[in-house]
Amino acid sequence: MPIIETKNLTYTYPIGTKPAFEDVTIKIDKGEFVVLTGPSGCGKTTLCRCFNGLIPHFYSGKLEGEIYVSNLKVVNHPIHELAQHVGMVFQNPENQLFALSVEKDVAFGLENLGISREKMRERVDWALKITGIYGLKDRAPYELSGGQQQRVAIASVLAMQPEIIVLDEPTSFLDPVGAQNIFEVINRLNKDLGITIILVEHRLDLTSKYASRVMIMDKGRIILDGPPKEILNSEEARLIGVGIPKVTRLYQILKNKGLNLNEIPLSAEEATKGLLEVLRI
Amino acid sequence: MSMFDGFKFRSVNSSVHKMDPRAKFIYVCVMFAVAVMFSQIIPLLVLLIIQMPLVFAARVQKEWLRSMKGAAGFAIIIFLMNVFSLYFYGNYESLSAIVERSFALTLRFMVLIESFSVFFLTTSPDLLGLALEQSRVPYELCFAFTTAVRFVPVLAEEAQTIMDAQKARGLELEGGSFIKKIRNYIPILIPLIVNAIRRSLELAETMESRAWGATQNRTNLYVLRMGRKDFLLMLFSFAMLVVSVYVSLNVQIPNIIYLLNI
Repeated sequence: MPIIETKNLTYTYPIGTKPAFEDVTIKIDKGEFVVLTGPSGCGKTTLCRCFNGLIPHFYSGKLEGEIYVSNLKVVNHPIHELAQHVGMVFQNPENQLFALSVEKDVAFGLENLGISREKMRERVDWALKITGIYGLKDRAPYELSGGQQQRVAIASVLAMQPEIIVLDEPTSFLDPVGAQNIFEVINRLNKDLGITIILVEHRLDLTSKYASRVMIMDKGRIILDGPPKEILNSEEARLIGVGIPKVTRLYQILKNKGLNLNEIPLSAEEATKGLLEVLRI
Repeated sequence: MSMFDGFKFRSVNSSVHKMDPRAKFIYVCVMFAVAVMFSQIIPLLVLLIIQMPLVFAARVQKEWLRSMKGAAGFAIIIFLMNVFSLYFYGNYESLSAIVERSFALTLRFMVLIESFSVFFLTTSPDLLGLALEQSRVPYELCFAFTTAVRFVPVLAEEAQTIMDAQKARGLELEGGSFIKKIRNYIPILIPLIVNAIRRSLELAETMESRAWGATQNRTNLYVLRMGRKDFLLMLFSFAMLVVSVYVSLNVQIPNIIYLLNI
């Protein structure tokens, strides 16, 4: 039973003349780590907004087709109910923090749900520890770096213990080191806690090694969907202009020149290993 | 901006900072009422001095001094205005009486500034929001309050960025008449407002995603509980009020000029 399932999903914004995305049919299983990528304006963000019901409950417009998340029909359940199953992390960390201390921000969702104080305290501390920001719990948001702020945002959705976390370009406001930290936190959530991850990202160099599946969107449609190595090595992926990992590109160039590595690399480590294997002969 | 700096909360680990905002609020209200009750120099001077231990206990002397310095300019204006209006419209027999009364009214202003400054310097907006919430103010309002406070530094930074960007394109902010100066700021205000609206949409989206409005019985991570110090402060405030009412009704407060026999 897939945790997210859509059938011929099409959506048009109220001011739009053509659909933001159309005819999207996907099945995502529990525990998957999906990297969703594609050129800007291809409909990735809009698709993510459907997963926790922002579409159609917050944004009006025309939604056709079917979408189920955690066995709930999205159209029939309010956002606050879906929010307990799907956590959403947005692009700009600054606009996701409302309170004047980190701890209070992480508690925000739980307060909204009316959870008892003892239980709230427990879950807040737990979320802060997993995301590695327990030491910052009394700081004000403006005292934090962008990377730390984004980790607070992740802790805030984590505290609500969702089965799925959707992250919409969480690192586009961050420097490479901050981004790397975020990806490691996300990877831990997936591998240690078994949370299903949907990560919208352009930085495939840093993310594809964590992914169990890559989806590429273009002009409102999902055009490629499958295991990272297969998808990123495909000719289509390169032609759309998604930034395929440099080592994967290196693999392709070497192959064209007649040097075959045993496996398609996604990270520098894998590439080094592959090159050593081949060159030692 | 120096005067407003004297009202900006700074996190200091002191017993005054830890006090319940509600107790401090009662204290400020009492101070306000008492200051308005008197218009003679002696009681107002007493009010000004009696608050100082609180300032030192909170270890915010520097910021407090800054707020007083910032208020000094206003104080001078108030003083001069009073002298002026009392001279032409009041029926005082001597100039020294006028000066004394004007000075007393200026002192009253300083007392008010002092107590507000102590309140805002030592009360974290988070606790203030919490105090509002626990005083049964609707949560939406409390949330709006804390969020507004949270975004002040963000907006200030954004305004600076926009200003720099517009200046880089040749916008002149200084110079010109008063009206011209105001008009100069339009190219800064418009992007600022547009950005703020865009930001509010993103905030709304995030709120929705964190189960905003899931239940009527919202809980809170923190609870405010009144401690011994809070009761002491309230007791002190109450005593102040009683004594002041008594004094203002029954005691003839001497004037300084009378004492000095000018």
